[in-house]
Amino acid sequence: MEKLKFLSDEDVMAMHEATLHIMSEVGFVWNHKESLDILLGAGCSIKNGRLCFPADLVMSSIAKANKRPVIRGRNGDANEIGGGNLYFHNLGGARDIFDAKTTSRRPATDEDANDAIRILDALENCHTITPFYTPPNVTNEMMSLHMFRNTLPFTIKPVQGPGIQYPHEIKFAVEMANVVGIKAQELTLSLSPVSPLTMHDVAAAAIIEMAKAGVINTNLPAPTGGATSPMTMTGSLVQQNAETLAPLVLAQIINPGCGVIYCGRLGMLEPRTGLIWSGVELGLSSAATVQLGHYYGFAVNVYGFSTNAHTLDAQNAFERGLNATIPALAGADELSGVGEMEAGVMGSHAQMVLDNELVGSVMRLRTGLSADAEHLALEVIGNVMNGTRNYLGQKHTLKHIRAGELTLTKLAERNSWETWDEKLGRKQMADYAIDKAEKLLKEHQVAPLEPQQEQELDRIFDAAARETAKVKK
Amino acid sequence: MSEELYKQMAQCIIEGESEVAIELAKKSIELNMHPLETITKGFVVGVNYIGDQFGAGEAFLPELVMAGEAMKAAVAVLEPELLKLGEAREMMGRVVLATVEGDIHEIGKTLVGTMLSASGFEVVDLGVDQSAEKIIGKALEIDAHIIGMSALLTTTMVRQREVIEELDKEGLRPRIKVMVGGAPITRAWVEKIKADGYSEDAVGAVKIAKELVGKADQ
Repeated sequence: MEKLKFLSDEDVMAMHEATLHIMSEVGFVWNHKESLDILLGAGCSIKNGRLCFPADLVMSSIAKANKRPVIRGRNGDANEIGGGNLYFHNLGGARDIFDAKTTSRRPATDEDANDAIRILDALENCHTITPFYTPPNVTNEMMSLHMFRNTLPFTIKPVQGPGIQYPHEIKFAVEMANVVGIKAQELTLSLSPVSPLTMHDVAAAAIIEMAKAGVINTNLPAPTGGATSPMTMTGSLVQQNAETLAPLVLAQIINPGCGVIYCGRLGMLEPRTGLIWSGVELGLSSAATVQLGHYYGFAVNVYGFSTNAHTLDAQNAFERGLNATIPALAGADELSGVGEMEAGVMGSHAQMVLDNELVGSVMRLRTGLSADAEHLALEVIGNVMNGTRNYLGQKHTLKHIRAGELTLTKLAERNSWETWDEKLGRKQMADYAIDKAEKLLKEHQVAPLEPQQEQELDRIFDAAARETAKVKK
Repeated sequence: MSEELYKQMAQCIIEGESEVAIELAKKSIELNMHPLETITKGFVVGVNYIGDQFGAGEAFLPELVMAGEAMKAAVAVLEPELLKLGEAREMMGRVVLATVEGDIHEIGKTLVGTMLSASGFEVVDLGVDQSAEKIIGKALEIDAHIIGMSALLTTTMVRQREVIEELDKEGLRPRIKVMVGGAPITRAWVEKIKADGYSEDAVGAVKIAKELVGKADQ
């Protein structure tokens, strides 16, 4: 299928050159001594008090990176990111859980988080798992590792590592991954530089630790257009590009060839409320991020399902449908957001089930159409005209229904009014999703970790807590 | 031996394999199996299974059609044998099917015909664009128990009422029951024109037809 493009080749080139200009002439607020020494030694310079990156260093660093990293689940299943497949993962780090039955919300607990992971493990179209909720009883310093530790027992799918805040977290995250048989090179960890163009000391130190450990670098710049990046989307994307590439340069100097997934989380400002915008422009900027990342040869991970909606309503459906479809058709390698609501603040079991269904449709669009002899069906057309003059009884018909010519959704309502009204009790798609989520929760079991693995994870977590306490002092 | 063959018969219907159905029907004759039992214990089991699956949303329309065609093919081989024995498959009822005047859509109606035949009804399918006069004439000619009328268009469905009114006028309603179907047909329409039955799909149509001839339990 031809990829959907919103930018011409000339546009992409102009954005690439603008990025190099920002990196080499405007520069980053960057004060962390150890990383500064490394970067200055590699050819960077200080201009107007900010760290600037020469174009040739940026380009040679991009050239070194492993752009086809493989992430692995504890059952050995591997996803090669950038190999042509599209992988979906869930939203990470939601605060609240939405109860679709009562249309109410509450802060998510550990139990909610475990349930969420178990449902995602059961859903065939959620390919990798990200720690979902941030329980309120956990301190900020221990949140990432707490979420990661509690995710591992409830899925056999590849777990995308948590967002890292502090450098010392990395070794513990890698140790935890090792306990379930995942090597550092198969683990992604993410870190968000601060927009605009600022690398705090802890973030710079964390980049060094991640590179040393050899984990796959998934830096997640998350500028907000209109607040922490320009209001114009291409301007924001250029800034985001610089924020993605700067930590990549540092990582590739320390560990040439370490894995990278090019990520962008540009969100635009909702100018009437100050919140993050989940209108269709999110899909547009995600698609453009994909185009820019692919220009460098990277696998690209962007926002997919996203909405500002608070319930499973019409706004929710159209926003998340468009925001996932547009970057998917642009060729995204990974899309996030399964189960998300309210611009990432909230998650819902029923939403996960609905997204699982939506992924099926998005994937169908990516598959596109075939015009080979089998699909042109000339022979069948001839046979039918010589015979029954309808296609219902043709083997070709059944074969292609089974082969996926149509996405046979299980949740969407496709019956007549009478059937819907009289036999189905007027149930709608969301009602079926609620039922299915409840059923999965009741029935889906994940192979538990061995007792010694659980003990080992506890030991690592306790050691991390002790070290965090020391760092705090 | 025959049990295994019955299973294969049911399976070939489920898979819509008409040629296999013909082969198995011939084989049963060679083995001197009773043709009526071959139909009821073998092939019909497959038709019923696929009908149930379709009703549960687990089978597709093409599977239903292919199963019906395979059933018809098997019965065509076995019917001469039944006649030789001086027997007949129990006939559930005689049905005249037609798409009403002005409407040339026939796939749904043909499918209903296939499923009715597969279930033991004797079906005369007049085809499309049939006037009330022709439909009623044929029903009288074959002494039909049921007239089944299809319409795909909201503009042609009114013709269903014309046929019913004509039957009323002639005092034929107690003798000939009327089933209607088609995409625009709703329960409200069926009540309005005082039809005897309707169904949204071909499997349901068989059920309704059996009820109308007083054989709901078969």
